[in-house]
Amino acid sequence: MFQVAKYPVQVCRFLSPRGSVLIETVRGRKSRNDPKAKSKQDRVKVPSPIDPVEMVVLKERYTQYQMIMRALRVEFKEQIMRRRYEEEVGSRAEERTKHEAEEHRALMAWNDAENLRLRQLREIRVQKEVEELAMKREEAIGLQEEKRRKILKEKEQEILQLQEDVKTFITLENLDQRIEEALDNPKNYNFAIDKEGRIVKRTAIP
Amino acid sequence: MPRYELTLILKAMQRPETVATLRRTVETLIERGAVVRGLENLGERALPYKISKHGIRHTRGGYFLLDFHSQSEILPAFLDHLKRDVDVVRPTVLSKETAAANTRCCVPQPEKPKDALPRRK
Repeated sequence: MFQVAKYPVQVCRFLSPRGSVLIETVRGRKSRNDPKAKSKQDRVKVPSPIDPVEMVVLKERYTQYQMIMRALRVEFKEQIMRRRYEEEVGSRAEERTKHEAEEHRALMAWNDAENLRLRQLREIRVQKEVEELAMKREEAIGLQEEKRRKILKEKEQEILQLQEDVKTFITLENLDQRIEEALDNPKNYNFAIDKEGRIVKRTAIP
Repeated sequence: MPRYELTLILKAMQRPETVATLRRTVETLIERGAVVRGLENLGERALPYKISKHGIRHTRGGYFLLDFHSQSEILPAFLDHLKRDVDVVRPTVLSKETAAANTRCCVPQPEKPKDALPRRK
């Protein structure tokens, strides 16, 4: 009829008292509409015999016992509640809150001081970086200027060179003279050089 | 203006005729707006191979180098003109621009790190 719960049954949990085993009503082998067994048909359920005197004494003792237990329990509960109350709203609670507030203020102050210090360092660093950047930029500009000047100078040199060379160019006037000159001086570009770069031999014109 | 070099191979002729041909060529160039820088003679030599041009088979020729500055647009017309000249065996125009100053040729190769894997032969 009563069986120990083998698998979890959430519903019966609030029916059973604390600390005991969870039992559930189970109907056993026979269902509700099955007839009684032949051997149990004339069975009369008789309550267990009790001794009245004993019962009275027992009852008395039980009432006292239960009263004491209840009182103890209430005492303990009250103690706990008092302790909790004192923690939250007690003499020591104020000190604690004050102490915590002080700590908090001190920590905040320390934090602010750290922030200030780091901020100063950072400002110095940032300024240095900005200056460095400016300097680099100026340097780069300077280099560029120099490059430009160099190129200009080179070009000027080239132009001057060309102006010099113009005097050797062939015009209609010195055309004949130059042709005669060229025909009189044949040039030979075939030669061999050794490792030092000196001309070693020339081939004759075939 | 860009700078060109005309390598002219003329027929093996007597001196006055060579003079006349050269004069003709230079005058043509100057007419077309070129500035002739110089004229060099490489001598009258045997050609490397026999060249047939204008109905004549040439074995020897006079080599002349002519450098000049001119516009590039006139060159095709000028070459065409030279090809039609009977005394000219082979005209060749080449560019003679000076290379840029900072060319990196013949720069020593950077050293490879020692950990580099050996090249497969």
